[in-house]
Amino acid sequence: MELQDKLNEIFCVVFDDDDIKITPEVTANDVDGWDSLSHVNLIVAIESNFNIRFSQKELLTFKNVGDLLNSIRSKITA
Amino acid sequence: MNIIRGDQYNIGHICTRQQCDLGRGDKVAFRWVSSHQERTNYTFSDLDRESNRFANALQLLGFDAGDILFTFLPKTPEQFFSFLGALKFQVICGTLFSNFGDDALLDRLGDAKAKGIVTKKSLLKKITRIKDQLPSLEYIIVTDIEEHQSQDILSYPALVRQASDDFTAPITAPVTPSVLHYTSGSTGKPKGVLHVHHSILHQSRTTSEVLNLTTSDIFWCTADQGWVTGTSYGIIGPWSLGVTQVHYGGGYDAKLWFDLLQNEAVTIWYSAPTALRMLMREDSELYKGYDLGTLRHIFSVGEPLNPEVISWSRATIGKDIYDTWFQTETGGIMITNRPGLEIRPGSMGTPLNGIEPEIIADDGKILGNNQQGNLCLKTGWSSMFVTYLNNESAYNSKIKNGYYYTGDTAVRDDDGFYWFKGRSDDVINTAGHLISPFEVESVLLEIEEIAESGVIGAPDELLYEKVVAFVYLHKQFTWSKELEVKVRLHVSNRASSIATPQEIIIVDSVPKNKSGKIMRRVLKARYLGQDTGDISTLEE
Repeated sequence: MELQDKLNEIFCVVFDDDDIKITPEVTANDVDGWDSLSHVNLIVAIESNFNIRFSQKELLTFKNVGDLLNSIRSKITA
Repeated sequence: MNIIRGDQYNIGHICTRQQCDLGRGDKVAFRWVSSHQERTNYTFSDLDRESNRFANALQLLGFDAGDILFTFLPKTPEQFFSFLGALKFQVICGTLFSNFGDDALLDRLGDAKAKGIVTKKSLLKKITRIKDQLPSLEYIIVTDIEEHQSQDILSYPALVRQASDDFTAPITAPVTPSVLHYTSGSTGKPKGVLHVHHSILHQSRTTSEVLNLTTSDIFWCTADQGWVTGTSYGIIGPWSLGVTQVHYGGGYDAKLWFDLLQNEAVTIWYSAPTALRMLMREDSELYKGYDLGTLRHIFSVGEPLNPEVISWSRATIGKDIYDTWFQTETGGIMITNRPGLEIRPGSMGTPLNGIEPEIIADDGKILGNNQQGNLCLKTGWSSMFVTYLNNESAYNSKIKNGYYYTGDTAVRDDDGFYWFKGRSDDVINTAGHLISPFEVESVLLEIEEIAESGVIGAPDELLYEKVVAFVYLHKQFTWSKELEVKVRLHVSNRASSIATPQEIIIVDSVPKNKSGKIMRRVLKARYLGQDTGDISTLEE
């Protein structure tokens, strides 16, 4: 499964919406319910699913799904 | 200023048709800024027409005065049209925070016996999952589908397309039920706080006297319409006075917010301490170069405003922040800092004329200055709630000897300033939202791995209080990252994202007294490293 597809599945579970279709350009303003508190849930779910860890500094740099994908990709291929 | 013409107290009418009758039909009622920063102006004529259409649509569907309709929407123009349209038709309108999960929705829609709900496609699944348990719910009106899906899942655009532009609100007596907000207590299910159309008198008055709004202002209230600030001061107060508002459909973003303040020429801004603290944490460079010359005043509500935020605002924006205090039950601002009154950072301010607070001991004795006790308000102000829906006993328990017990504790100093000290119950105030520990504990117990749970609020620099869950697992299970994800998502999707514990602590047991009541006081003391006090009633 492509990384983006796997991340899409996580988004659907975290935001409880099967119709979410993420693209690299998607931001929090495009997904209903993506607020600062549910963002923590998203990060914890990603960390658990991919068995990776984000630093606080990294978290501040994520502006859209593309940034998240790039960071996940770099961690799982490292 | 008397906003009542004749005997017409109808909030929907006063906020729309009456403004047009006063010659403000072409004036912008709100500038809608979408999450992608597309801008659309809606005049008071637009607001009148769109709310008329929605009122007519409800009539065609067979709604009657006194029926209950909820909105379950993020901030969208339809939120305002449906809220005001329902009120015009004397349908009671409840508003629901769009991040509520299934259990939170079921509790509220079920208790209210709601006949209809207005929502978005992305939120529809939450309602259809519980629809079977809601026999009174006849209509789900979806704002972003073009055609009706079934007999009960209807298209908002299709409904209003068929509806007439004309609607005359019936003359509405002041005691007619209007707005319904659910609020959390420390025990039991959330309670439906019912207001009446009479509330508009106080909401309008405080919009003028406290927020200082006039018809030449541009007002931005960041509150979500799911909460009382979003309806009292994001809809009713400003529009009852013909004030232009900015409504933004996106979330927190420091740069974008400052762009909005500057580019929309906002003159009065009403926000919340958590948001202001988030702004304070940003790099100060971000704020350089902004011209906020039009901004006259900043107000805050939701939880106590710490003095550091006021200092930050003075240094960064060159403005004071006035902290206001009120509750869902009070319907409008009661005790407040305001322009013209010396700011004592950290204080709630002083009561408005006509609002009579007292500090009362648990035994009912009225206390003097500098003595901590229950903050109570003499009943009778015009925006006071009239009951907890279907829960008269809870209402009666809050009203004693002519005083409403707010659940907050406070002291009054010798100059008449009030100082918030805490809650007299276990309710958690996180980012300005009240969370019932009981509700979170109940949701946690739905998870098969969890045997016992206890939930408290603990101090937090950003959120004021954070939700901390103590969890005892069934013996065959062990804590893991996967289980943490499961717990977080379960609470978020069943209760709401704001109820999700910020911290989950695995314990060997949850302290309870001999009658099985969770001793949150003991959990909190242990968490804070304080003396647990008298634990003689602790179950062994």
